Amino acid sequence: MDWSTIIAGLLTLAILSFLYRDNPAYKMAESLLIGVSIGYFLVIIWTKTIMDLLVDPLFYDAKWPLVIPMALGIMMFGRFHKKTSSLSRIPIAVLIGSGAGVAIPAMLEARILKQVSATVGPLLTDTGMPDISVIVVLIGVLTTLSYFYFSHEHKGALGVSAKVGTYFLMAFFGTTFGYTVMSRMSTFIGRMEFLLSDFLKLTQ
Amino acid sequence: MSATRSQPVFETRHLIFLSLFLIILVTMLIGYNPEIKVTSETQKVYDYIDSLPSGSVLIVSFDHEASSLPEIKPIALTVLRHAFSKDIKLIGTALLAEGTGVGYRLITETAKEYNKEYGQDFVYLGFKPQYIAAILSMGESIPDTYPEDYLDKPYFSNEMLKDIINYDDVAGVISIADGSLTTHWIEYGASRYNVNITAAVTAAMMTTYDPYIASNQLYAMFGGLRGAAEYEKLIDRGGAGKRGMLAQSVSHIYVIILIIIGNIMYFVQRKRRRGSK
Repeated sequence: MDWSTIIAGLLTLAILSFLYRDNPAYKMAESLLIGVSIGYFLVIIWTKTIMDLLVDPLFYDAKWPLVIPMALGIMMFGRFHKKTSSLSRIPIAVLIGSGAGVAIPAMLEARILKQVSATVGPLLTDTGMPDISVIVVLIGVLTTLSYFYFSHEHKGALGVSAKVGTYFLMAFFGTTFGYTVMSRMSTFIGRMEFLLSDFLKLTQ
Repeated sequence: MSATRSQPVFETRHLIFLSLFLIILVTMLIGYNPEIKVTSETQKVYDYIDSLPSGSVLIVSFDHEASSLPEIKPIALTVLRHAFSKDIKLIGTALLAEGTGVGYRLITETAKEYNKEYGQDFVYLGFKPQYIAAILSMGESIPDTYPEDYLDKPYFSNEMLKDIINYDDVAGVISIADGSLTTHWIEYGASRYNVNITAAVTAAMMTTYDPYIASNQLYAMFGGLRGAAEYEKLIDRGGAGKRGMLAQSVSHIYVIILIIIGNIMYFVQRKRRRGSK
C-alpha cells in the first residue's frame, strides 16, 4: 500500500470521527483540508491566470494592450487604503458592465424564452389524445406563478390556484431532497468503498 | 455549587449515524450486486456517444471540486471508458481550479487502460479562469484560449489538435459537474454556438438540469451513483456504481424508515401537547 492511500484513509477516518464529537484528530484533518485547498488553488491561479494570461504574454510576447487589464487589476487593491479606495470602483464598474452585457441576453434566452417555449406545447398528441405531461407542466407553471403573485389576497380562484401551486412546490422540494439524500449517500458509499477496498483491503 | 448534568456519551444522532455506518458496511461486505434497469436518460447519453464515428472529438469538461470525487469518479469513469473504447478522441478541460488535478488524473489513468497516447488520442488543456469568458472564448478559438495544454506543451504540438479550432470541429461537450457550471455550458456554449451539451452530474444537481432537458437545451443527462451503475451495465463493465447499488438502496430504505419514525413521533408529541392543554 502506498503512502498516499494510508494518508487518505487516516484523514477520512479523522473527518468521520466528527460524527461522534469534535476532537483534535478532526480539527487537524479539517485544518489540513483548508490549508491544502487554498495552497492548491493559489498555485493554479498563479500559474494558469497571472503567469499564463498576464505576465508571460505581456513581458515575453509584448502584448501591450494587456497593460489595461493589469492596471484595472491593480486598482482593485486600492480598497485597502481610504485615500485610494475610490479607484477600485473603476474595475468593479467594468466587471459589472461587461458581465451584465454578456449575461443578460444569454440568461434571457436560456432561462426565460426557451423555458416558456417549452412550457407552451401542443395540449393534444398527434393521435388527438390529451398530452398529460404537457398539461401537468402547464398547470404546474401557472399555479406556482399564482402562488408568487402577492398583489391580491389569496382568496377565491386565486387562493385555490395558489394552494395547488404549493403542492407542486412541495413535490419539487421533495424530489430535490430525495436526490440530495441520494447524492450524500453516494459520496459516503464512495468513501466507504475506498476504506474497505484500497485502505483496509477487505473487499475487492 | 450548582449541579450540572454531564453530556451523555451516546445521543440519538450517534445511534442514527452508527446504524447507517453498519448498514452500509454490511451491505458492502456482502458484495451482492442487484439487477438494475437502465433508464431512458442514461440510455440516451450512451446512444449519443455510441453513435459517434471513431476519430470524433469530444470535449470532456471536469467542472467539479475534489470533494465530490467519491460520487463523480464512477460517473466520469463510465463516460471516459465508453469514449476511449469507441476510439473517440478527448479534450479535457476544467472550469474549476479545484478539479483540475482530479480531471487530469482521471483522464490519464483511463487512457492507460485503453493504451491511448497523450497528444494522439487525448489531450488535457486544464483550467481556465472565469468560466463564462472561457466558454465564449473557446467558441471563437480554442488555441487562443489555451495556447498551451496542462503540461505546458504548445497547443498545436499535439497531433490530434491540428484541425481543432472551435466548437465546429468537435462533436460536443460532456460536462462532468457537481454544481451549476453545466448551466453556463448551456447558456453560452449551446445557445450561442449550437454545440451539443451532455451532462454527467451528481444526483443532487439533477433537478436543476431537468428543465433544460425538457426544453431540449441540454441534449442528455445522467448522474449519481445510480446513473453510473446503469452506464456500467450498458458498457458491460463493473465498477463502483454497480458495487454501491445495494448499499444505496438499503440506505434509502433506512432514511425512509427514519422519516416515518420522525413523523410518528411528531404526531404523538403533538397529540400529547394538545391533550395536556
